[in-house]
Amino acid sequence: MAWERRGSNLYYYQSKRVDGRVRKNYVGTGEVAQARAHADETIRRSRAARSERARVELEEAKTLASAGQELWEAADILAVAQLVAAGYHRHKGGEWRMRRA
Amino acid sequence: MLELPEGIRKRIHQLQELSDKAEDDDQGARQELRRRLAQEAPEVVARCSDSARTYRRLLAKRSSGGSPLVQEAISERARRMALELAGENPTPLEVLLSERVASLWVLVELQEALLAAWYYKAEGASPAFVLQMARLQESCNRRYLGAIKTLAQVQKLRGPSRVQVNIGGNQVNVSR
Repeated sequence: MAWERRGSNLYYYQSKRVDGRVRKNYVGTGEVAQARAHADETIRRSRAARSERARVELEEAKTLASAGQELWEAADILAVAQLVAAGYHRHKGGEWRMRRA
Repeated sequence: MLELPEGIRKRIHQLQELSDKAEDDDQGARQELRRRLAQEAPEVVARCSDSARTYRRLLAKRSSGGSPLVQEAISERARRMALELAGENPTPLEVLLSERVASLWVLVELQEALLAAWYYKAEGASPAFVLQMARLQESCNRRYLGAIKTLAQVQKLRGPSRVQVNIGGNQVNVSR
């Protein structure tokens, strides 16, 4: 969205991407254009704030999910060690079976 | 980040190396693994269990949206779930694995709630955000199911939870 000055007048344009190309549409001048520009700015800020909230929330969710990673890997190692010590082995890398004596 | 102490991390790494050797049918490694598990596992497992409880409190706090009552309710529900999963007279490892399942349950529930909240927000969420959240959720679900499977495998080691005993011609079922 942009104001363009020609001579002493300001003209308001909206830019939209159509089929991958930016297309500039003339909106107007004067009070009507100012009202449209104000509305556009409000929408833009609201979108930016929403996008920032989403980014923060996603980061938090990722951090929370990865926080226990090392601990859960340790639990897996201990469980496998226990099974192996008891004489089990992974049959073809999958199911745990008791090793034949 | 929730990190294990360096000493514990080192011992876990050593146990993993021994376990890998024993899995390749190295009898010496298996005996050494048994010895090390008997000597070191209780302390290592206890430290991991402490961290697991800290992690669960962290998750409950985030899931509660700042309400102490909800935080307590989530913690208590997860604690009961872990107790129930561990069964009667669990080994320390079974306790740790049960706590892992309960914690991951809280994590999965939290992520579902977060995603649902974004779906129902009037302003909506971008497709990229929903996609990333869904991927994260899927990965946590996989970990959750994997944790349940591991617990079941370790519990299977101890045999059936009920033992049939015949006393004086009467069959008696004894729970462990």
